[in-house]
Amino acid sequence: MTAYLIRRVFISLIVILGISLLTFVMTHWIAPNPGRAVLGLKASPAAVAAWNRAHGYDNPVWAQYWGYLWKLLHGNLGYSYKLNQSVASLIAENAPHSLWLSGSSVVLSILIAIPLGIFQAVKRNSVADQTATAVAFTAYSMPQNFLGILLIGWLAITWHIFPAEASQSEKIIPYILAWRANFLPIATLTITAVAGYSRYQRSAALDSLAQEYIRLARAKGLTERAVLFRHLTRNAILPMVTLIGLSIPVLLGGNLIVEDLFNSHGLGLLFFNSLSNEDFPTVIALTLIAGIATVVGNFVADVALTVADPRIRIS
Amino acid sequence: MSVPILEVESLSTEIQLSRSVVHAVGDVSFSIGEGETLGLVGESGCGKSITGLSIMRLLPNGGHITSGAIRLAGRELVKLKEREMRSVRGNEVAMVFQDSMTSLNPTMPIGRQISEQIRRHRSVTKKEALRQAADSLSLVGFPRSDERLGDYPHQFSGGQRQRIMIAIALSCEPKLLIADEPTTALDVTIQAQILGLLDDLKERLGMAVLLVTHDMGVVAGRADRVNVMYAGRIVETAPTVELFRHMHHPYTQALLASIPLLSQDRAERLFSIPGIPPDLTTPPPGCRFAPRCSRATDRCREEEPTLQPTEVDGHLFACWHPVDGPAARIVAPDPGKLATPAPEAPSAPPAGSEGAAAAGSPAPVRPPAARVAAAEPDQGVPLLVIDSAVRAYPVKSGILQRTVATVKAVSDVSFSVERGETFGLVGESGCGKTTLGKLIVGLEKLDAGRVALRGTDISKLSARELRSFRRDLQMMFQDPIASLDPRMRVGAILREPMRVQGVGTAASQRAVITDLLSEVGLPATAIERFPHEFSGGQRQRIGLARALTLNPQVVVADEPVSALDVSIRSQVLNLMKRLQQVHSLTYVVISHDLAVVKYLSDRIGVMYLGKLVEVGSVDDVYRRPVHHYTAGLIATAPEPDPTIEKSKRKVAIKGELPSPINPPSGCRFRTRCPAAQELCAEQEPPMRAFHDGHLAACHFPLQEPMRPADKEAQTASV
Repeated sequence: MTAYLIRRVFISLIVILGISLLTFVMTHWIAPNPGRAVLGLKASPAAVAAWNRAHGYDNPVWAQYWGYLWKLLHGNLGYSYKLNQSVASLIAENAPHSLWLSGSSVVLSILIAIPLGIFQAVKRNSVADQTATAVAFTAYSMPQNFLGILLIGWLAITWHIFPAEASQSEKIIPYILAWRANFLPIATLTITAVAGYSRYQRSAALDSLAQEYIRLARAKGLTERAVLFRHLTRNAILPMVTLIGLSIPVLLGGNLIVEDLFNSHGLGLLFFNSLSNEDFPTVIALTLIAGIATVVGNFVADVALTVADPRIRIS
Repeated sequence: MSVPILEVESLSTEIQLSRSVVHAVGDVSFSIGEGETLGLVGESGCGKSITGLSIMRLLPNGGHITSGAIRLAGRELVKLKEREMRSVRGNEVAMVFQDSMTSLNPTMPIGRQISEQIRRHRSVTKKEALRQAADSLSLVGFPRSDERLGDYPHQFSGGQRQRIMIAIALSCEPKLLIADEPTTALDVTIQAQILGLLDDLKERLGMAVLLVTHDMGVVAGRADRVNVMYAGRIVETAPTVELFRHMHHPYTQALLASIPLLSQDRAERLFSIPGIPPDLTTPPPGCRFAPRCSRATDRCREEEPTLQPTEVDGHLFACWHPVDGPAARIVAPDPGKLATPAPEAPSAPPAGSEGAAAAGSPAPVRPPAARVAAAEPDQGVPLLVIDSAVRAYPVKSGILQRTVATVKAVSDVSFSVERGETFGLVGESGCGKTTLGKLIVGLEKLDAGRVALRGTDISKLSARELRSFRRDLQMMFQDPIASLDPRMRVGAILREPMRVQGVGTAASQRAVITDLLSEVGLPATAIERFPHEFSGGQRQRIGLARALTLNPQVVVADEPVSALDVSIRSQVLNLMKRLQQVHSLTYVVISHDLAVVKYLSDRIGVMYLGKLVEVGSVDDVYRRPVHHYTAGLIATAPEPDPTIEKSKRKVAIKGELPSPINPPSGCRFRTRCPAAQELCAEQEPPMRAFHDGHLAACHFPLQEPMRPADKEAQTASV
């Protein structure tokens, strides 16, 4: 298993290297002449050339890539000339907010979706199952911003239970403590995720229920409770591990739509604003981070599955 | 008879579907005494498994017992509350299921899977329950069982998992064990071991056993009494020997007559029951077998017969026009009178004259097409030559995924097949026979050696040349459901090979398809239908038709009838034989079922762990086996005859197939061979001739070789 993990890490590193190459190519493609892009159209060609020389943009492409990688390794993700701040510090300011929003909603949705999906599978085709299915499909097919607007309309504007805007604290602790303010964005994210996860969990649990070992467990005289908890649940959540691992990028990358809608600090909103301001260094750094997050998410899912499934663990 | 442990009285079970009701079990009554094994036989869908599950009250969704009583040691189970029933399950009645691969929880150590049942029914500590779990594991033949309690199911072989399932079932010493097809998924050698184990444990624990199976051979050897079920009804019940010798129901007779025996004359058509079992959502009025019965009259179609007694105690049957005894069967004459170590096939069972009439006297078929086809110029080259074929799959491991070992699937196998001949390949699962089949049709690449068709080595051909050779090499697959694309109409499935090969115009393709469909006995309207609209037997006919669209010379049939019910199986076997003559086909038939291979084949190769250990004519291999493995295989194959089966008490081949990654040195069979000596570990036995065209690789063969070729042979064959 150690060999497997080492190999898996190695492959992940190669993929990340590939992503860095892609983002580097994208940078060149968007701004073939960075000096011009930074100094503006009015700058003299000499000034542009001097800027390019000063920042190493007159070197051959491979050397520039090497320099880019070197900077990445030292946590230098570039510089946002629009915001006059290093991208790394921008991300450090915004990431915790995104992590909190997405992380708490992922945890909540797992806590809701797994029992719900298993319950629906066990009570297949009952009124409860069909109601849950109908609700899940409605939520799943609804665009996230529409769902958010609906929630704002009911809970914020009509009934004044929750504020329509997320907490505006720049510091993370007060942001987390302002749970009322963050209720609606977290609810929007959670409802959408539960809709997807519970469908998946339902079908995974149905597959497990059809297995002979469930029948054998019943033939042992176990109570239905023991059958479900000891035999069904563990096997039925194995497929969920992969799915949840794949939602880690969302967790790290922040949620664009919800952060924009509720005007919450975060990587999503940062990405959105950078895109509108044509702040390309930030956009590209965030793209790189999203790519790396995907690789990391996959890796974490694989490792989690290895731990959870003895068939993979031992062989 | 002893006190009945289980009494089932007029049990009826229905399964509610979304739009209809399946009358799965109707008015079934029987009882089982202490230490008794009752066989419950029938084809799939006859209600035998539902009967077993009704007793456990573990029916699938929508299933419920509509009437009747089930008494376990006098206690009525049908009326019990679910909570009370749960303390009966696993405690007083236990069940063993068919599929040992999926019946154990893959994420739970086996020790806990056994001990949780003990803890459920006995007030013992966790530790004590685990100790008892270890005891039941040793009971089913695991040495050092306490060391294996923490292992997971995937660390065991199929046979071992079946033992574990039996250990679970027996851990609370139940009064009744329901074994639902306990050995169907296993190889014959392992099957014999598991059935022997069940028998042994039954006697030790004084249980009653309900043995549910489709295999007449298994009940012949293991059951004291047999119930034959058809379409949800018990049609006949009798003590085992009485049933096999003096059956009265035409279905029982027909079922037995459709099974190819090892003693079967290959020139005779197999008896087959026309049609398929009825749909139990709307069972036919009258006798349910009437639509398929050759003796049916108007009375049978209108009035349902009830079970009536005979002069023999405990023998009842439900038929208006009973037969008497088995159908006449033509048994192959024994050409050679050489000594044979394998139990000899029985002489012809007494044939009632009525029975012969019922079976519709089997028509002799023409001599094999080999002779007709042999007239074609062949330049003395066999049609198909497999020469030192080797196929090994790499096993990769470590960080760099280096090849650390190889799975030796096919190791140095050579044989040839003449035009029009049928060559049978037998062996346990994992012996490499399927890989060899794929090598022959070019679906797998050889690592060494050659496969030559008409003298051309197909492994050396380019992809383009190979494509045209594929016209002559076709394959028929085991699984009639998985091997047909569910989204293609039958017409498209059959046309595809011709389209790929660019054969014929649309019109001529259509003509070929129509002809083929009628040849395999399907209506022309089948063209427009999808595979799922057909029954298993019909799908296998489609599979055969697909293999024949390009008019191939060689058809490799991999387990062609293993997925089919007995009565359907004989229809397909007969069809394969007929089409072989019409199209002068050459078959390579791969199967684990010795009787099927023997019925179809002219010559047979026996494979063990990637090696061909014996090859020869059917008579040579079956009547005069030389290799201990061949002899053991023949001895373990269950035959539907109680006299033969009950005499086979000892297990002929012990142990399980070793890993093909590290096959034993020298002779690969030596670890399981009764005659193995030191020489067998040191040297690989060469192929030697024992008879004309009869070769085997064994240092200590069961017969003298023809002419001792080398020194070892002379010393060895003592």
